[in-house]
Amino acid sequence: MSQPNSASAPQLITAEGQVIANDWQLLADEDAIGADGAYVLTFKRALADLPTLNGRYGVRIEPGDDVRELIPYLDKIALVEVSFPGYRDGRGYSTARILKQNLGFTGPIRAVGDVLRDQAHYMLRCGFTELLLKDADPEGVIAWIKSLYQYSYQSAADAHKPVWALRHAKTEA
Amino acid sequence: MKLLTANRLTDGLVIWYASDNWPEGWVEDAALAKRLEDAEADAILEAWKPRETEIVGAYLIPLVDENTPVQREYVREHVRANGPSIGQTALDTAKAHNRPEVF
Amino acid sequence: MYVYDHYDHAIVKQRNAEFSDQVRRRLSGEITEDQFKPLRLMNGVYLQLHAYMLRVAVPYGVLSSRQVRKFAHIARTYDRGFGHFTTRQNIQFNWIKLAEVPAILDELAEVEMHAIQTSGNCIRNTTTDQFAGAAKDEIDDPRPWAELIRQWSTFHPEYAFLPRKFKIAITGATEDRAAVRVHDIGLQLTERGFDVYAGGGLGRTPAVAPLIKSGLPGEKLLSYLEACLRVYNRYGRRDNSYKARIKILVAALGAEEYARQVEAEWNALDQDAIDAPYAEIARIKSFFPAPAYKAEAFDQAAFDRAKAADSRFARWVRNNTLAHRNDDHISLTISLKPIGGVPGDASDAQMDVMADLADDYAYGELRVSHEQNIILPHVHRNDLYTIYQKLDAAGLGEANVAQITDMIACPGLDYCSLANARSIPLAQDISRRFEDAQLSDTIGELKIKISGCINACGHHHVGHIGILGVDKQGVEFYQILLGGRADEKAALGAITGKGLSAEDVPAAIERVVKLYLELRTDPSERFIDTLGRLGRDTFKEALHEPA
Repeated sequence: MSQPNSASAPQLITAEGQVIANDWQLLADEDAIGADGAYVLTFKRALADLPTLNGRYGVRIEPGDDVRELIPYLDKIALVEVSFPGYRDGRGYSTARILKQNLGFTGPIRAVGDVLRDQAHYMLRCGFTELLLKDADPEGVIAWIKSLYQYSYQSAADAHKPVWALRHAKTEA
Repeated sequence: MKLLTANRLTDGLVIWYASDNWPEGWVEDAALAKRLEDAEADAILEAWKPRETEIVGAYLIPLVDENTPVQREYVREHVRANGPSIGQTALDTAKAHNRPEVF
Repeated sequence: MYVYDHYDHAIVKQRNAEFSDQVRRRLSGEITEDQFKPLRLMNGVYLQLHAYMLRVAVPYGVLSSRQVRKFAHIARTYDRGFGHFTTRQNIQFNWIKLAEVPAILDELAEVEMHAIQTSGNCIRNTTTDQFAGAAKDEIDDPRPWAELIRQWSTFHPEYAFLPRKFKIAITGATEDRAAVRVHDIGLQLTERGFDVYAGGGLGRTPAVAPLIKSGLPGEKLLSYLEACLRVYNRYGRRDNSYKARIKILVAALGAEEYARQVEAEWNALDQDAIDAPYAEIARIKSFFPAPAYKAEAFDQAAFDRAKAADSRFARWVRNNTLAHRNDDHISLTISLKPIGGVPGDASDAQMDVMADLADDYAYGELRVSHEQNIILPHVHRNDLYTIYQKLDAAGLGEANVAQITDMIACPGLDYCSLANARSIPLAQDISRRFEDAQLSDTIGELKIKISGCINACGHHHVGHIGILGVDKQGVEFYQILLGGRADEKAALGAITGKGLSAEDVPAAIERVVKLYLELRTDPSERFIDTLGRLGRDTFKEALHEPA
């Protein structure tokens, strides 16, 4: 799978365009959950352990995982990482929209893996709030997207109003 | 024996390796392509593969003899070398070189 | 036809700016070919056998004269003087330079056109009936709905990386000229809303789509499609690209279960946020009024005199026109299948001629059909003879619509890097063999469809006679299928035995046709009807054994 700009170490950037530090640590299934720290659990482990865990955790969702299985535990989830093993696997876009729009999840939704500038616009529209972006200039990417994509035809999980709404708001005004 | 071929990045046209110079070492006329011994051919292909701002999709065509590509790829390579067989453009490679076909 | 407002213009402009930047990055080496390939494909730029190919979207096959003139200009300026109309109602330019693609896209944007989503695993151009808004048998005009889908699907953020490409077709007539049941989603407009078919397709595993919903209200079309796509995006196979189309998912789940999942997803969606309100549908519909028909009585006597004086004209009228809802008007098909020509090709000069004729006699409007012909949908019958003479002078007067020489053929191995065998030279050979106009008229309706590989761009599964090119150790062979059809009685043809060489195909087809002429009950029994009555086996022998 190709990785544009993969020469650059991925940097975490928010939808608003701020580079932030990553405080979260992905736990392998066999690793014990430490007393302090911010841990991301695999999907399988989250389903197995969240019922008995107190506190709040991150969960990593892979493309084949059904995000709706997390419904009973949403209040224990502080962060969701949606994994893109290759950018051509688009299941994560549906995961993000379901999480944000159908399940009402309000915490950070982070895209990780093969996350590239050419897909960043779609990701932000689907409700991702943070991107672990493989790009030398992540701030530039977000600024460029915002300047480039003023209008969208359809509603999604972001603040963009579909063009039809703009058209008819204008007529009424 | 092999020929090295690719498409030129800027216009996509089929070109053939004749020598290591760029751009004049890559020619549009397959008849002028260099007949390469197998080991040499592999080395040249490897050397050119990363030169992606010049060529794209480089690969080797094995030849049965000096002028006949192997049977497996014959139709494709023949069409690629000569231009569309339906002869609908004035710039088909073979015609541009005043021959009924390149090989 | 639909006219862009400043939002539509802005959206195309933003994409062109983005793609220009991507081309620049590729040419300068900032991104590799691997990285660039999916980006260029999403803008319809392929690297084919001989050069780059640019596929330009013709939304639902509708064109203005201005747009056709722009195609002529692009063919002349950036290509080698011709363009190829495709079975997806699009146009392809075969000899494009990568560095010039941004300039071409800017030229296209001037006439409200683009190459967005003409390739890649995304929602492609919606296709429809080439006689939409003109045909007598139309229940409702599919074009506004196709435009609604065009807007909704353009840069849809959730569906840019589907398991595979996704094609939607709509028809609003009783006769299905859009082959809706061999599309990923087929929409049939009825008096009580849309009938939705899902999971049809050609290619490696051809399938006729089952009905998954009846009577879907138009105002709910987008949210329902959104649900169809979401289930497909999440559960369509991604492990094997040959099994990734929605037809495989629908077949695996069963139509009922797929429909149930779609229904559940649909009910969970915020439909009001997705579905454009009535005012927007009305706005789009307002762009598709009937033309201001010329108020001139049809002169039957003059028309009859012209036909009597020019038998070629009479034949052309008989074969290339279709009844119009306005009795003084008619819809006419300009055949892009001259005897021995390249199916679907038009030169820059021919495109200019067609654009001029559209301006002078057809209210400025043209269409592309999936059968790779050009249509003037609204023509006054008094103008037919003048139009015919001008077309004929430009080499566009072939009177063979729906006949044996009106073949569909993909570009095949002469251009396409995916092809296994050539399609065009075979189409040309068959065309020459049935050159005789009288013979062709005697045979009547017979649709031959040729694909150069299993991807089936030439729709071979739904040809009355389908031809599939295969490669056997570097030699081209052709498998012949019989009994397919793409109309409202959609059916898939079956392979009839071992492949034939290119030289043997025209004679084999001739034997089948001769047998049909012997066996048909009367001239009104079409080839496909006789085949249906007697079965494939009757004709199989004729194909494979010299008579």
